[in-house]
Amino acid sequence: MSEHPVIELRHVEKHFGELHVLKDINLSVARGEVVVVIGPSGSGKSTLCRTINRLETIDSGEIRIDGERIPREGKNLARLRSQIGMVFQSFNLFPHRTVLDNVTIAPVDVLRIPKKQAREEALRLLERVGVGDQARKVPAQLSGGQQQRAAIARALAMHPKAMLFDEPTSALDPEMIGEVLNVMTELAREGMTMLVVTHEMNFARRVASRVIFMENGSILEEGSPESFFTHPQTQRAQAFLQSIQDH
Amino acid sequence: MSKTKKPSIRDYLYEPPGPRTRTWIRVGTALALGLIAALVYAVIHQFAVTGQLKAKYWSFFSRWTTWRFIGQGLLTTVEVALTAAAITFAAGFLLMRGRLSRHAILWRLSAGLISFTRGVPTLLFIYFFFLVVPRTGVKLSAFWKIALPVAISACGVVAEAFRGGVNAVPRGQREAALSLGMTERRAFYRILFPQAFRYIIPTLIAELVIVLKDTTFAYIVSCADLMQNARVLISNYDALVSTYLVVAVIYILINYGLNRLSENLAGRESRRKTA
Amino acid sequence: MSVSALWDQYGSQYLLALLTTWKLTALSFGLAFALGILITVARVGPIRPLRRFGDFYVQIFRNIPGAALLILLVYALPYLKVLFAYETCVLIATTLIPSAFCSEYLMSGMNMIDRGQIEAARALGMRFFQIIRRIVIPQALRFSVLPMTNLMVATMLTTSLGSQVPLNPRELTGLVSYINTHATGGVTAFVISAAFYCGTALLIGLAGSRIDRKVRILR
Repeated sequence: MSEHPVIELRHVEKHFGELHVLKDINLSVARGEVVVVIGPSGSGKSTLCRTINRLETIDSGEIRIDGERIPREGKNLARLRSQIGMVFQSFNLFPHRTVLDNVTIAPVDVLRIPKKQAREEALRLLERVGVGDQARKVPAQLSGGQQQRAAIARALAMHPKAMLFDEPTSALDPEMIGEVLNVMTELAREGMTMLVVTHEMNFARRVASRVIFMENGSILEEGSPESFFTHPQTQRAQAFLQSIQDH
Repeated sequence: MSKTKKPSIRDYLYEPPGPRTRTWIRVGTALALGLIAALVYAVIHQFAVTGQLKAKYWSFFSRWTTWRFIGQGLLTTVEVALTAAAITFAAGFLLMRGRLSRHAILWRLSAGLISFTRGVPTLLFIYFFFLVVPRTGVKLSAFWKIALPVAISACGVVAEAFRGGVNAVPRGQREAALSLGMTERRAFYRILFPQAFRYIIPTLIAELVIVLKDTTFAYIVSCADLMQNARVLISNYDALVSTYLVVAVIYILINYGLNRLSENLAGRESRRKTA
Repeated sequence: MSVSALWDQYGSQYLLALLTTWKLTALSFGLAFALGILITVARVGPIRPLRRFGDFYVQIFRNIPGAALLILLVYALPYLKVLFAYETCVLIATTLIPSAFCSEYLMSGMNMIDRGQIEAARALGMRFFQIIRRIVIPQALRFSVLPMTNLMVATMLTTSLGSQVPLNPRELTGLVSYINTHATGGVTAFVISAAFYCGTALLIGLAGSRIDRKVRILR
């Protein structure tokens, strides 16, 4: 067993033109940890999540996956990405393929797993997230909640070392949020290393091993969910929690 | 006008290049530049060795009279095109009304005419007006012998463009108008069509390009358009290559301008919708 | 002239003309499609001069009138010591013009692909060419079925340019003008050609919408 954190960010800086979106971000996620990132919109939490598999580039600092520095291009970048699962706000299932194909496409193309084996595993995963009966449909025939669960299965099919969730429930109708959070909770219980950007405070309270509060591109506070939600240290965090409770 | 351009796949297909990719792109760029330069050189070389770069083939373009003559031809071309466009827009509108009407006969007739004009090449219509119409005793000037077939050939496409525009207006608009006590007719002219027109304008401008291109067949009926005047220039100066090239460039520039105008208007429309 | 009288005299020529139009249409469309793909690759590729060249090519051939292009090919090229047979000239014109439109349609088909698609594929560890092959091309082609159907009809209409040069055998438009300058075919001669054109357009349209229904991407 390696003693490296699964995900590690050191002094990460990023600008979007004039805008300083990530300011000296230092963060590490240990194996089996569930880190929930919260903060007002525009705080840079989504960008942070997307830098980890280099969907966003960074200006300086370094990012390591399981101790290995994420390169700028090439085979190794693709390989490291394949070891990190990602779930998007807008699902991003491939609309021209069936749900089953969505789950098998990367294992077959990237990991070179035989088709038959990939299919069996995909069906098992789809079953596990509760959409096994939808495998032959195309994504548009599924509800948002079902699509997002299928997207989780697609990421899991790569046997990732960690999973990134970029606001996975923000595009969902309220009645479907629960089913996706349940799958995520289940994953956390099974020991998956997770970094979750979300507005779901109850999920953070129940599932997180650590909560990170971001604002204006900086990590302002980090701690256990109990301490963060009951005694937020900074005024910003207090104000943020207040504003969410108001409605 | 705002500068926000629609994101293109050209931008998001690629990741920011790393050092290795950048080297590849540099090599590719150099190769491509070399290839394009070779192509340009080959063309110019071919012009040179065949003597087509000689001053006598190009000098008359510095004369004012040449451009006045080209201008006259162009004026006729524009007249034909605008006349044909006016007719085809009117006919297209009527066909669209027919196509959207609830009268089965009207509906079928319009749909049939639309398919017919869309499925038959302009040239066939032109030959019809050139060869058959005169034998029936109807005397048409060269102007109409080209304007009418071009108009007929385009009207089906125009009708479909109108229909697309009307269908793009949200359903609720018609229902709201009817609920205010307007008749179907009134709702169409007061509420639906004015809104549809915004979507239609870019398509109509693009349609002008098709009409303008079709007018180049005017030489068949001996109408003194740009193409026909080019022929006169050619026989005067014995400069076929240069003259036809210049004329082609004129057509390309005009059509390019029209297409750009249409795209800009369409872009502005979609921006207004999302704003 | 009645249809039957006309058909008795020219029937076989009409059939030959129909075949010629079909052959020209199929050949031009196939070549235009291949060329359109090449141009599109140049236009979306990362190499700037090739992008510019592709854009330039498309603007030229999408805006040049067919007659002007054909005239350049038939009358101007020989002065430059480039000599093509009439058939070849027509084929070049009816290929180059549709190829520009083909590239435009493919580009807009590609632009309909959501950026999230590419990010998702990247996040799964897919490499650039895997993304192109598995995600971009299949989706772009599906989005382009109906535009390509229209393009094929437009290509068929463009093949009427063949009537402007002596072709042997003649295509549908050339045959009509031939019949009407040599005999009094009248309206009937036109109706037959028009019916053949419309019928072909209808068939292409039917095939296109059938394919589209099969491969359309639900969204």
